[in-house]
Parts: sequence; structure tokens; C-alpha cells
Amino acid sequence: MKITLDILQVLMLILGAPLVHGIIARLKARLQRRRGASIWRPYAELFKLLRKEELVPPTSSAVFRLAPIVLFGATVCAAAFVPVVHASALLGSRGDFFLFVYMLALGRFFLSLGALDGGSAFGGMGASREALVSSLAEAPFLLGLVAIAVLATRADIAGMVAWTLEQNIFNISAVHILAFTSLAMVILAETGRMPVDNPTTHLELTMIHEGMVLEYSGPSLALIEWASAIKLHAMLALLIALFFPWGMVSSVSGWGVVVALLLYCAKTAVLMILLSVIESAVAKLRMYLVPDFLGVASALSALAVIFTMWVKR
Amino acid sequence: MLLLLPLAIPVFGAGLILLFHNPRAATRLALLLAGVEIAVLGTVVWQVHTHGELHQGRYLRADGLSAFFLMGIAIVSGLVLVYASGYLRHTGEGRFSSPRWFYALVFLFLFTMISVCVSANLGLLWIMMEGTTLASALLVGFYNTEGAVEAGWKYLIVCTVGIAFALFGTIVLYLAAVKAGMNPASALDWVSLMNAAPRIALDPHLVKLAFVFVIVGYGTKIGFVPMHSWLPDAHAEAPTPISALLSAVLLNCAMYALMRYDAIVSRSVGPAFPHVLLLIFGVMSMVVAGLLILVQRNLKRLMAYSSIEHMGIIAIGLGLGGPLGLFGALLHTFNHSIAKSLLFFSAGNIRHNTGTLRMDEIQGISRTLPQTTAALLVGGLAIVGLPPFSLFISEFAILSEAFAQARYLVVILFLAMLSVVFGGFAFHFFRMLCGEPDRRPENSKLIPSEYIAMGMAALCVLFFGVRIPHVFGRLLQEAIAVLQ
Amino acid sequence: MGLVGIATEKILSSFSVFLFLTILLLAVARRISSSVLLFGLQSAIIAAEVLATAFQEKLPEIYIVGALVFVIKVVAIPRAFFLLTKRLKTVRDVKASTTPTQSVFIVAAIIYLSYAAVHSYGGAVHVPDDPLAAAISLILTGAFLMVSRKKALMQMLGLLVLENGIFLAALITTFGMPLVIEIGIFFDILMGLLLMGIFTFRISDTFEHLDVSKLRRLRG
Repeated sequence: MKITLDILQVLMLILGAPLVHGIIARLKARLQRRRGASIWRPYAELFKLLRKEELVPPTSSAVFRLAPIVLFGATVCAAAFVPVVHASALLGSRGDFFLFVYMLALGRFFLSLGALDGGSAFGGMGASREALVSSLAEAPFLLGLVAIAVLATRADIAGMVAWTLEQNIFNISAVHILAFTSLAMVILAETGRMPVDNPTTHLELTMIHEGMVLEYSGPSLALIEWASAIKLHAMLALLIALFFPWGMVSSVSGWGVVVALLLYCAKTAVLMILLSVIESAVAKLRMYLVPDFLGVASALSALAVIFTMWVKR
Repeated sequence: MLLLLPLAIPVFGAGLILLFHNPRAATRLALLLAGVEIAVLGTVVWQVHTHGELHQGRYLRADGLSAFFLMGIAIVSGLVLVYASGYLRHTGEGRFSSPRWFYALVFLFLFTMISVCVSANLGLLWIMMEGTTLASALLVGFYNTEGAVEAGWKYLIVCTVGIAFALFGTIVLYLAAVKAGMNPASALDWVSLMNAAPRIALDPHLVKLAFVFVIVGYGTKIGFVPMHSWLPDAHAEAPTPISALLSAVLLNCAMYALMRYDAIVSRSVGPAFPHVLLLIFGVMSMVVAGLLILVQRNLKRLMAYSSIEHMGIIAIGLGLGGPLGLFGALLHTFNHSIAKSLLFFSAGNIRHNTGTLRMDEIQGISRTLPQTTAALLVGGLAIVGLPPFSLFISEFAILSEAFAQARYLVVILFLAMLSVVFGGFAFHFFRMLCGEPDRRPENSKLIPSEYIAMGMAALCVLFFGVRIPHVFGRLLQEAIAVLQ
Repeated sequence: MGLVGIATEKILSSFSVFLFLTILLLAVARRISSSVLLFGLQSAIIAAEVLATAFQEKLPEIYIVGALVFVIKVVAIPRAFFLLTKRLKTVRDVKASTTPTQSVFIVAAIIYLSYAAVHSYGGAVHVPDDPLAAAISLILTGAFLMVSRKKALMQMLGLLVLENGIFLAALITTFGMPLVIEIGIFFDILMGLLLMGIFTFRISDTFEHLDVSKLRRLRG
């Protein structure tokens, strides 16, 4: 029964990802007083791309064709670490949060390789910028998770979520606030959202992620787009699970699962609204200011780790 | 009732002066009010001398120490206002630059300083101390020149930060008192704290911490060396009568506040800790200010650094303690104010007659401004501590105490710095006095007000060097008794 | 105890965390208006804490102090700042001498130092660690802001943050000094700010800028 639930969690993360993308795009459109496309449009786009013919640059090698597959696989693996409805996940107890972070990093690495392999100038530029952002974002990502792990004295994500479930929601601790802020900033950077990267841009100078995928088409592009949607969904789910997991079922029962699912949808909705507001409200940072942004995130997460020393647990 | 008068007169006087737009009427009213105020202060001092202390309500008290400082304030402010009445004929008109604003602000400033000296409550003392900064900031920036505005801003910011630290120290002392069981309503009252001092010593760390913050905070207003950055600018850019008030009266008031705290802390955790701090700050101030005097180029900045040096001397006297140390320190506060006022008055005259304060541009004033030169010489010889002037007596007392306590390092540094300062002053002054003057100034004669002010100051400085009047001596002894 | 009681408890036990967040955000703020908003937020948190203390310790005087804090520091002073920035027509940038990353690290170091200080020396005073460390961090951050921000308005703000810290320290250790003294202190701060405002007008008039680092005429 647990296994079924875990598999269903992963499937939900994977299949629900385009919906999350669509809802965020629609919310942003509404905030900007446009009508906006339907929330199901990303699904239509994925179907369209899967049926199209794939064009490959003649100068590319196997890496170019391999990259989207590795990216998708790694991201799905990472999504399998995240608990959604109950405090465990498919791969939850098989690896700790380091593995989660580096699964995502593996996918990103291969995407950069594929972009470089494609041979276009935009690919190279996107890859170099992506390298900068991801290397700077790695520190706060890890430190934020380390802070929570130190408090929970467990290293696997499912264990950390289980520990958080046992805490009292009203004991606001400095560690959690700092880690939350820092992880939120990291999510903005890692998933290529404003103010670090503009997901809707078509101007070369402002691209990071879009620059890297410029050469891809057909099913490969579908896989890449899907993978980035899954990454966003998984990281949002991670944020919810680590900081607001109350409502998850502890023992598997029919009604409990339904309630947990509804609560999860509600929390995701709140986060999506927040994300849309932030994306619509801030302007994109110029490239030389992105290290400052991530530096602030690093300082906050470092402070969170330092604070764990004084928390009386 | 009597204690309220010296506080009410300046406040109402300030408001009254603002009503008079005619400069001459404003000046006459100001002088009249000054006379009344001095008379009232004299009465207060006499009452305290004959009857012991005076108090009014819970927050005002005048004892021997207050009386001594009030007397100093009265005399110096009288001299300064007399001088200012003549000085202001040179000021231009501006939005806040008319004589009535000047006198009104000066009276407000005097009000705050007198309140410092008669507050019984350490909280009120702090409030009024911050009030002195606020009241004098506009006076420092009185001329709207670049230098004045910069000096005024720096003064305001640095002193407010310093006073904020003093507030923290006051709070810590209050905390120590309340923890030791004192009634919160009287835990900031100086006399109650003095009586309960041994009890507060049960928590020595808090009391020591409080004193550290207080000496840093009030030391900023006194001008001790790491915190002195505002002093040369403010004293140099302000109008001359204000520079005299700042150097001669305000620094003394800040020192008064520090003395009050030193008394409590010495009685509580023993004199060793506070006195070591006072000696350190005093010696640092003397050394740094003395060395910087050698490289000054502006006459008023030179005098400002000399003020820092003399505050260092007073701190050394206070830090040595003992009968002679306290005697020297208290006497020095008075002597220094008179001599420094005299020097500033001369500087003001020089500025108006030669148009500059840069010492390398002033030459040969012994021929063009003979009377000012005489005043400058008297002031200069007095300020470096030569006999037969009064500062010699107080510095000699402090030195004797240092010898008696076998603090030879202090003695050596003290004497060395005195020599350095003497050399510096001699160099700067002789460069100004000798040589060919550039031009003959139009009116080199002093007008009566300046004559009176400078003459009285010079006589005072000479007279006190020869013999201290009996009444004055008694007041001094009572002040010392309060602190022990 | 009712809802108010629970709210009071939670405020008292966790407000210091939010104060840390405000000073960290102050370190990275790049415009004067955001800094002033953060200061207003900070003062609101402190006012809430004052009122919570008044409720818990049952000291009616402190209600007045809390109301004063709210009116003066949350409402009046930020509005005065906004008026001042509009009248002065100055550039809105904060002109920090350290990059945001460096500032955040310095403030983080300040927070760490305050905790270290409280742990070593705070035993003398029997108060919970977090609020005292928050007060000390406020004082040190105020000093840091005054030193590293080169706009005159930011120096005033740094001074205000410093005063906030001292006020908080006084409150949590002694539950406030006699009321008359507190009112006097508030009055002093207000007058001080008024004078600083006058001076900023004069600076911008005589110098035509508000950059304090360029006030370097008097030296030596």
C-alpha cells in the first residue's frame, strides 16, 4: 500500500508539472491584465512537440541527443525523493538530500553539455551563464537543507519531513525562517524564474535557460520542457514538505489521503500565487547583480546553519 | 522655588528676544537678561554656600559641586555675552542669522547647560545633555557656509551617537540598582545611588559595564581622544562667542556629568577601575592633542585641540583622585574656561581685522593690533601653564598628586606634553606676532564690549594665579567634599 | 487564558526572529524608501513586543510607552522621511560603500557576535537570550549602517535603528524606566531628528548633494 502511494506521488509530480506551469502563466497574465492562455496549454504543447520531427545540428554528437534524456531521467529521479501526501517517497529512504541536489545538478550539467554541443553561440552563452548561476546557487541550496537536517538529526528528506511533522507549528524558529527565505531564493534561481531569468523572453541578451534549449526541437524539446516543469513542481513540493507539511497522513487510509491531497493542492496554490506576484512585481536582475542575489541567499543559509547551534532542541 | 528661576529666565528670555526684530533692542534685552540671570545664579550659589544644598521637587538639586559649576557658567557666559554684543555687528543677515535668533538660541543653550548642573536625576541629566547638543547644533552651523554646515552635521551625528551610548550606560546602572533592590522610582536619583552604592556592588560587572559606556558616551561630548573628531571642526567653524561657550562651558558640563558617575562607581566597586579608565583617556587625549597642536594651520582649530588637551588634564586629575587631584581638576575646569574664552575672543578680533584665521597668513599683528596681541599673549602664556597665571596652580596640584602616588609614567608624559604644547604655541604665536603686516587694518581699536570682556578675563586669569579668593576657595572645598 | 494571552506569548517568544530578518533585509536594501519601510516594520514589531510585555507584566505605564513607540516610530517618522525625500529631490539610491553580499555577511557576523556576547556575559541578567541578542544586534547594525551608508538620510536612519536597539535593551532588562524619563527620551529623539532634517536641507542647499562622504573639507 505504501509503495502504491509513493508511486502515485511521483506520477502526480510528473503529470501535474505542466499544469503547475500553466496555472502560473495564467496567473501572471491575469496580474498583468491580459486574458492569458488556458491552463492546459502546456499539455497541448507537449503533445504537439512529441509528434514533430526532430532536427539535429550536423556538427553535434551523441551528447546532443543524449542530454534531454539524461535531464528528464535525473529530474524524475529527483522528484521521486519528495514526499507529497505522506512522509515518505519512492526513493525517500534510499538516499539523502545531497543525492537530491546532485540529481538535479546532473540533469543541469548534461543540459549545459548538450547546449555547448549544439554549436550555436546562444547555446554557449546560455551554458556559461547557467554554470555561473548554478554554481552560486549550490551553496545556499545545500546549506539550507543542512540546517534543517541538523535540526532533524536525519539526512534523508523523508526523515526530515517526518521530524517536521512532529513539531508544533507555532514555535517559529529563526532557523526555519532563514532557511525558507534562502531556499525560496534558490528556487527562483534554479528554475530560471524572475528575477534571475525570464522564462518568457525571446531576447538573447536576457536568456539563460532559453538560450540553452534554442537548438532543440521535437521530442527532445518536449522532454526538456517537461523536465524543467517537473523541477519546478518538485522544488515547490519540497518547500511545502520541509516547512509546512502538516496535513500529511501518517497512516494510510482512504479519507486521509484525499484530505492530504486537497491540502497539498491548497498549499501549492498559495505558493503559485506568491510566485506569480513576485515574478510580476520585480524586474529581472542584470547579470552582474545575480551573484549578489545568490550571495544574500548564501549568507542567509549560512546564518541558518550557525543558528542551529543555539536552538534548544 | 529659587532653583526654578535660573531655569525659567533663559527659556522665557529666549522667547522674549525673538519678538524684538531690531538688532540693537534685541542686544540690549539680551544683556539685561544676562545680567539678571547672573544675579540669580549668584544668589543660588550663595544660598548653597550658606545653607547647604537646595532642592526643588524630585528632579532638581543643587549641592556644592553644582554651585561650583554654576558659578563658572555664570561668569563665563557673562563674559561671552558681553563680547558677543559687539561681535555681532560683523555678522551678515540671513534666514536664521539675525542677532535675535543668535541670542535666543544662546539662551536656550544656557538653559540646557544649567539644567545639567542642577539635575538630581541621572535620567534628567541625560535628557538635558542631549538637549545641549541639539541647542548648540544650530549655533555651530550659524554661518551657512560649507564648512559650518559640515561641522554642524558632524557635531550633531557624532554627539548623538555618543550620547546614545551614555544612555545605554545609564540604563545598565539603573538595572544594577533595581536588581540590588532599590525602589525603581529613586534608582536614578544621584543621592539615593550614592547612599546605596555599596549594595549595588553586589553585581560588579554590571556597574563596570555601565561606567565603560558612560565614559565613552559622555567622553564623546568632553572630547576624549578616540571620540574627538567633531570637536576641532565644531569649535573652529562656529562663531567666536559660540566657540568660547562650547570650549569653556559645554565641555565642563560634560565633565560634571562624568564626575557624578565617577563618584557613584568609585563608591560602589572601588576607585581603581574608573580611575584607570579616566587616566587612560586623559593621557591619550593629552598626547594626541598635544602632538596635533604642532601641525595646525587654523588658529581656532589650534585652540580646539588645546581644549582637548586640557580636558585630558582634568581627566588625569580626576583619575588620580586624592585631595590634590580633585582640587586640581576642579580648579582647572574654571581656570581653563577663563583662559580659553580670552583666547577665543582674541582670535575673533584677529579674524575681523585681518580677514583670515590661517596662521601662516597672519603676520605682524603686534604692530597692527596691539591690544589684541596683549590679550593673545596673556591667554597663550596662561594656557600653556606658565606662572603667574592660574592654570599653573591647578596643573601643579595635579602633578604633585601624581608624584605623591608615584605614578611616574603619568608625570613623564604630562611634563613632556606640556613642553610640546609650549613649543607649539610659541612657534605659532611668534610667527603671527612678528614680521611685516600685509596691510594696515582700518579699525584696530577695540570697542568697549570687547575691551571689557577680554580685560576681565585677563585680569581673572592673572589674579587667580596669584591668590585664590577666600569665598572661591570655600566653594571649591565644598565641591570636593561632595565627591568624596 | 484567551486568544490575547496566547498571542502575547507567541509574540514574546518569537519576535526576535523577525527583528533579525528586518536587519538582514536592511543590509541589502538599495533604496532609501525600502530602508525606511523596513525601519517602520521593525518599530512595529518592537511596539507589539512592548504592548505584549505590558499585558503580561500588568504594568499600565508601559501601554503608554508602547503607544508612543507606535505613533512616533511607526507612523510619524517614516512619513517625515518620505516627505523629506520628496522635498529634497535627492537620488533614491542608498549609496552603500559595501556590496549587498558583503553587507549581509557583516550583519550575519554581527548577529553571531551578539549571541556570543549574550552567552558569555548575559548570565548576569536573567532574561531570555534571543531578545537581548536582538537588541545588541540592532545597536551594532545601526552603527554599521551609519558607517557604511553615505547618504545623510541613511545616517539618520542608522541612528534611529541604534536608538531602537537601546530602547529594546532597556525594555527587556528593566521593563522600562520611569515614565517621565521615557517621555523625555522620546522628545529628545524627535528634536534630534528635526534638527537633522534641517541640516540635511542645509547640506543639500550649500553642497547641492546629499552625499556625506563628500563632506571632507575639514581635515587634520
